[in-house]
Amino acid sequence: MRRSTAAAVGTLFGAALIVGVRLSVSTPVVTAAPTDVDLAGSGVSADPSPSKSGSKKEATKKPSAKPTDSDAGEAGGGTGLTDGTFKGKGVVNPYGTVQVSIKIADGKITAAEATYPTTGNSATINPGAILKLKAETLEAQSAEIDAVSGATFTSKSYVESLQAALDAAGA
Amino acid sequence: MGTVVSIELADPLPGETLTKLVEDTCAWLHEVDARFSTYKDDSEVCRFRRGELLLSECSPDMRHVLNACADLWRDTDGYFDANAGGLLDPSGYVKGWSVEVASARLAAAGSANHCVNAGGDIRMRGRNADGNPWRVGIRHPWQADKLSWVLALSDGAVATSGSYERGDHVINPRTGKPAHGLRSVTVVGPDLSLADAYATAALAMGESGITWLAKLGPEGYESAVVTDDGRAFSSAGLPAAV
Repeated sequence: MRRSTAAAVGTLFGAALIVGVRLSVSTPVVTAAPTDVDLAGSGVSADPSPSKSGSKKEATKKPSAKPTDSDAGEAGGGTGLTDGTFKGKGVVNPYGTVQVSIKIADGKITAAEATYPTTGNSATINPGAILKLKAETLEAQSAEIDAVSGATFTSKSYVESLQAALDAAGA
Repeated sequence: MGTVVSIELADPLPGETLTKLVEDTCAWLHEVDARFSTYKDDSEVCRFRRGELLLSECSPDMRHVLNACADLWRDTDGYFDANAGGLLDPSGYVKGWSVEVASARLAAAGSANHCVNAGGDIRMRGRNADGNPWRVGIRHPWQADKLSWVLALSDGAVATSGSYERGDHVINPRTGKPAHGLRSVTVVGPDLSLADAYATAALAMGESGITWLAKLGPEGYESAVVTDDGRAFSSAGLPAAV
């Protein structure tokens, strides 16, 4: 039951909208499943809070726990999917919090989207956030150091270099 | 080829042991030179590129170097190119790699505190003789006796690629001409062979190297850059000495 949901929504997440989804169960699966369903790294739990749905009524069949939050809308189209907009649990991953939501109308998944973080260390999944080197003033300082890193010096320039002075001092 | 190597061992080990460690390091670097020097006609690299050796007949080190150069060509979008100029020359990788291996051998032989500097490419471990992290200055790109940054690190590598020593020796593989735009690129990270190649690639890219370098941050490679017109940039995680 849970696996079917994952397969359907997983394919949808790959940017191809599925017009019709046929599931093997008749109960509204999106209201069931107490554990997270893995969806390309983010978790979608069947913990729906439908913001838009038809008439809200208690489902007669509810396979498991989460009694207070689950409001089943109309089950449409005979596919077993309940109409409404369902948000997955926000999942924290190294880039921030990702939340997936899907919209079901007439028993079919008609839309899916994911929110993703746009700040911080999220450049990998948000191309708009470009990592940058920060500009600063070029310093010319002297300091106590153990070694110098510079462009590869030849034997000739080594002799006059800071590194030579350091090596001589350490001898 | 004339690269000078400075080796500093800060371990509390007997003098004989330290001497042996230095000798072994020199022996390794000579072995690298004999195998990879493009100035020695009988080196393995010269024999390979003349077709006298098949790849399958090459030494494990040669095959490793060639594989690494292929990976770097891909990872730097072609700007690190061991075949730029038409003839295979993996020297840009070999330089940093030889010191990375030298440091690994020293560590395996019992030196936990050392600093090996080969022509400006440095690999260090542990602490200096004062018990502090190694302090590395980045040579100012115009004033040879000044530093533009001072870094402090225990374990890691610092590599600098610049146009102020050997002139415009870094070629932009896209244009076939000397690269311009950046005068000095320093990369700091865990592996000297990569730090060195990244610094060279960024220099070859010119100004767009500044943005490319920033992407290395998540992989653990920090950078400090000076442009031809004197602007300076650094990454947020550059281990600057306080």
